[in-house]
Amino acid sequence: MNDARLKRASVLVALYGVLLVYAAVTLLPFAWMLITSFKESREVFRLPPSFVPTLLFGPDPLANYTEVLTRHDFLLYFRNSFFVSTTAALGQVATCALAGYAFARMHLPGKTAIFALILATAFVPTEVTIIPEFLLMRGLGWIDTFLPLIVPSFLVGSFGTFMLREYFASLPNEYGEAARIDGAGPFRIFWRVYLPLARPALISIFVIAFINNWDELLRPLLYLNSPELRTVPLGLMRFVGEFEAEWALLMAGSVASTLPLILVYLLGQKYVLQGFAGGGVKG
Amino acid sequence: MPQHAPRTGARASQSRLAQRPARWKHWLPALLFLSPAIVGLVLFRLVPIVWAFVLSFTDWRIFDDIVWVGFDNYIHILSSPVARQVLGNTLWFTAMYVPGVVVLSVSLAVVLNNGLRSSAFFRGAFFLPYITATVAITLAWRWIFSTRFGLLNHLLDMVGLQGQAWLADPAWALPAVAIVSIWKDAGFYMILLIAGLQTIDPGYYEAARIDGARPFRRFYAITLPLLSRSLFFVLILALIRSTQTFEITYALTNGGPNRASTTLAFYIYQNAFVHFEMGYAAALAYLLCFAIGLVTLLNFWLRKRWVHE
Repeated sequence: MNDARLKRASVLVALYGVLLVYAAVTLLPFAWMLITSFKESREVFRLPPSFVPTLLFGPDPLANYTEVLTRHDFLLYFRNSFFVSTTAALGQVATCALAGYAFARMHLPGKTAIFALILATAFVPTEVTIIPEFLLMRGLGWIDTFLPLIVPSFLVGSFGTFMLREYFASLPNEYGEAARIDGAGPFRIFWRVYLPLARPALISIFVIAFINNWDELLRPLLYLNSPELRTVPLGLMRFVGEFEAEWALLMAGSVASTLPLILVYLLGQKYVLQGFAGGGVKG
Repeated sequence: MPQHAPRTGARASQSRLAQRPARWKHWLPALLFLSPAIVGLVLFRLVPIVWAFVLSFTDWRIFDDIVWVGFDNYIHILSSPVARQVLGNTLWFTAMYVPGVVVLSVSLAVVLNNGLRSSAFFRGAFFLPYITATVAITLAWRWIFSTRFGLLNHLLDMVGLQGQAWLADPAWALPAVAIVSIWKDAGFYMILLIAGLQTIDPGYYEAARIDGARPFRRFYAITLPLLSRSLFFVLILALIRSTQTFEITYALTNGGPNRASTTLAFYIYQNAFVHFEMGYAAALAYLLCFAIGLVTLLNFWLRKRWVHE
């Protein structure tokens, strides 16, 4: 008996050992980013590296953050990123909800073929579609506006459409029938009866789309020229290019750009994990 | 994969062929509901897919005239030493990324599925890199990898190991990109695998334990076969993902030093949007697309051999 308990304990210790080691590997880059963001600009080049940043116990611990946000315009970049990500994600939720509902509960000849096309083309890599997309945006005169960042994400959401189609199809017909007898039209039935029931799925699609848009680097890189239009990732890359040695400031900007995502993740954790576990890949 | 929707709508409308206006009215709401998705599908999917295919047979620097060159781009890709180096890098990256991320995420999922009290905390922590801002955390890694002032070389030095010029050494730049990619994505695959593990009936383990099967054997005889469906999905996603690295490369090494960490997706970006060689880039992109398609098909064919249904 004692032997078995000893064995069980040693297994537990081994399991926790693995978990703790990997937790350290996971969290170390975050920790180092945070520590560096509170260092003075020359302190980052001290050898051996200091683990207790000086600014933290100085008169103005947030000095790097205020400098990055105000003097280097990151406040503006945050506004841009918030605007783009929110609009694009809300649009994607709307498009996916309408399409998913129509695929699941409405009549249209050929809708199965359209749905199959949406799914099949989702597997074509961005590298293929981005070149014509760039030419299209150039032709439309949308270069150096937010439109190329918003419109494609607004109108294309294969994963969300798939997820909501499944969801709406799983709901009983009786709800809609009852409303129809009361004289409600198709849009009213969708808006008042079925859409509210899909709230968890809608939230999960919004959160994933928001994260993906916040993270987007390629499109801002291609489409935005004016400094005042930069999104946060683009701002960070341009900052590295201009001030290569300012690691403390850069890390402050990086921490700041990570915080909204961690916040969104913590608030919607349940929905996010559900969404991703359902295969919520980008797109 | 999608199940087919009940087709009562189509059949019902066929029987009412005579009533044209009524039928039109019947479809109109669905058409309205689908119109944003259809516009998106046509404008940002179908048209670009065809357009890129046509472009891949042309020589077109964006400000010049378009010249039709047939298969020249494809031939050039296969014969150019640079493109071959890039294809080699892509294969090397896949060879590091896929086994690395699969082994790591399976281990984490299995350990976390043991009903430990603090699993939720660890699960949250391990997933964090995946949802975090890619450029920001990659820049943090770039600072950690720094040769003289980086944390990694300092830690290696503390345990008596030789540091490396991670991002400046052609031999280490691509492995560095792979390390960051594995670190970032492992939590995502782990979540998919945990979902798969939770569908396994605990009764199997109970029975195996009574029969005296050791943990290692239980893993091979029960967990792996019953997890194979999720594992297959994870493997496909990881393979596709391994050919598409862009943000991490851009923020960590910018493809250098000397193209040592330039993989296909990054090379396409450089050709299209740095050198504006639209035709050549489109051909590279289609090559990537064919490769992904081929690997996916191969996987589905192999699936029968190892996935337990």
